[in-house]
Amino acid sequence: MNRPALPAGSLSASAMMAPALILVGVFILIPAVVAVVGSFFDFSMTSATWTFVGGANYRRAATDPLFWLAISNNIFIVVGSVITQVGGGAILAAILDRGIRRGSVVYRTIIFMPVVISSIAVAFVWMLILDPNVGPLNAVVKALGLSPPRLGWLGDPAISLWMLLLIAAWQNVGFQMMLILAGLQAIPKENYEAASLDGARGLKAFWYITLPGIRNVLVLATLITVIGGFKVFDLVFVTTGGGPANATQVLGTYTYTQAFSFGNMGYANAMAVVLLVTAALLGWLQVRLSRRA
Amino acid sequence: MQFRLNGEMRLIAATVLGAAVLVSPAHAEDIVLKMWTLDNNGYKEFIAEAAEAFKATHPNVTIEHQIFPGDPYKTALKVALVGSDGPDVFFNWSGDKAKQLVKDKLALDITDLGTAPGGFATVLPEGWLDAFRYDGRLYGAAIDAVSKYVFYDKAYFAEHNVVIPKTLGELGNLCKAIRKTDPDTIPMPLGNKTRWTAIHWMTMLNERAMGVAGTAADYDLTRPADQLYTDPGYAKAFQALVDLQDAGCFEDAPNATEYAIADSMFATRASPMEYCGTWCTSGLDAAGFTDYGFFRLPVMDGGKGSADANFLVPEGYQVSAKTAHPKEAVEWLSFLVSDQQGLKFAEKVQFLPSNTKLIDQAEGVSQSFKDIARDVGTLKQGVNVLDALLEATVADAYMNATVEVLNRTLTPEQAVTKIRDAAVAVQAKQ
Repeated sequence: MNRPALPAGSLSASAMMAPALILVGVFILIPAVVAVVGSFFDFSMTSATWTFVGGANYRRAATDPLFWLAISNNIFIVVGSVITQVGGGAILAAILDRGIRRGSVVYRTIIFMPVVISSIAVAFVWMLILDPNVGPLNAVVKALGLSPPRLGWLGDPAISLWMLLLIAAWQNVGFQMMLILAGLQAIPKENYEAASLDGARGLKAFWYITLPGIRNVLVLATLITVIGGFKVFDLVFVTTGGGPANATQVLGTYTYTQAFSFGNMGYANAMAVVLLVTAALLGWLQVRLSRRA
Repeated sequence: MQFRLNGEMRLIAATVLGAAVLVSPAHAEDIVLKMWTLDNNGYKEFIAEAAEAFKATHPNVTIEHQIFPGDPYKTALKVALVGSDGPDVFFNWSGDKAKQLVKDKLALDITDLGTAPGGFATVLPEGWLDAFRYDGRLYGAAIDAVSKYVFYDKAYFAEHNVVIPKTLGELGNLCKAIRKTDPDTIPMPLGNKTRWTAIHWMTMLNERAMGVAGTAADYDLTRPADQLYTDPGYAKAFQALVDLQDAGCFEDAPNATEYAIADSMFATRASPMEYCGTWCTSGLDAAGFTDYGFFRLPVMDGGKGSADANFLVPEGYQVSAKTAHPKEAVEWLSFLVSDQQGLKFAEKVQFLPSNTKLIDQAEGVSQSFKDIARDVGTLKQGVNVLDALLEATVADAYMNATVEVLNRTLTPEQAVTKIRDAAVAVQAKQ
């Protein structure tokens, strides 16, 4: 007797999906719902009661200069990361794909290596490199006859955010490079040969063959970087803690500070919801652009 | 030989056995008390040995001790106390952190148990009990206190004929002299990257400028809003910090320097002074540097502070409001601050114990520790640290303002205005 394939298939598929769905539900969906609900209340981590305050936490965010500073720092990191990580990754990928004849595997491995190191470890290593008293960067700068920044690389509000950008780029450029390199290597060589016969070389070949060929990969790389830039937390938390004097505060660290240092859980939830909505919108955009590409 | 019981005899034997089990003190309810503390040197050994000794009078009580590093502890404790699996007895700092737990009804009122015969309140002096007293009730017992001194390298001072400064002005001149001898020597590194070292300075500079009484009503926000933080002494205290910075006392980029690096500069004798906590003695001794002395932060020229006042932050234990065993928890806590355990605490942890009755008998502690313990005993007034004492957002504003003063992005007056704004906003919400 033939049994209908669809119900049996969907049952087994559901059974196989169940563990993942349960994990997503328990660790992502339920906390997200609680965060949304909590954003309409005033409470601390240790308070026994929640006081309903309506949209007051969102109104507070709208008038809180530190919230907007955190958002602008996030945008700075997002834009800077796209330029340094995706742009830098594309340049490195192009060099490895076409410019280097020997040892490209070695270079690729070296550039990719920081990606597999924990962000916390990366942050600690860079803290030592940038230390104004014992760090090698200051020694190099002085050896070149230059003056290192008076307030330190991570202590000067005008420089510290740039330093975070540099550290993030150092760690992540290898990942973007690998993505783009895979895209570059998927473009058939015949396309370049045919174009060459038609007189399209160099920049023209890049514009009409390379760029369309890796468009999908570039969209993906950019969106991954943008989402990462909005979610950034560990690097900032460890290296500067949002300082000096809030100069490098981002949404993640400011939310943490409000929740765990000041006990404003409702307000922290409201900021987390803003971050959640931003990430969800960007995720949706990623899916749409990927499909279109 | 075989011995058999018939049915009736079996019933009687079972009843007798059951009754014996029920009335036997050896079968009193087994109790596990969960205890959370910081991961300080020697703490684990001290608690383990104390728990073993406690069994002599409480054979049914087992102490389950967990240790945590400082910053994660603050968050973990709050989460655990709200949840269902928190500690019965836990370490806490006196000041705003302890007060918050009292306000949220997470710390148990242990006045009655503590004042019962043998309770901690019958052992500790009133001054120490005040550390965890709120609205006249006791919510914890102090076990130790942290103080701060200017530690100095005796050999360096002797070699350069340096005398201990008596005023902040003299301290600034000393820094200038050290820099004149060698411009690369940092006289007293600050290491303020995590912001707490400079707030310790401000704690004492405020006292040196205005005295404890002059600041109390600002710190607890009881002064009228239009008078909060209006004393010119606050700006004067910031100016004193700036003057010391201008005298070259600190490293070039204090807000970018890790505390550990600043600390190691003194331990390795690269710097001749460090403003350090009493916890530093064990670290310095362990590093093999014992030829150091200490003095209290000098007074301010024309200031209202007292040389008899010094940094003193009591720390202690509280009992969770959710504990199922409040009596045993308080008995354990009282045991920990007993005369004998006070002595053992000094020996094992090398912190200043709240119970110093037997401190002269302490063995294995350095002479510096004993000297500091003796000096703390002569203090007429303790000064609690701002980041523990002030409401969290005001403390944060104070720390950020201090960072900006050191960076010269705020003048002392502008810094005080920022702190005042934060204080007024918090007061308005209360």
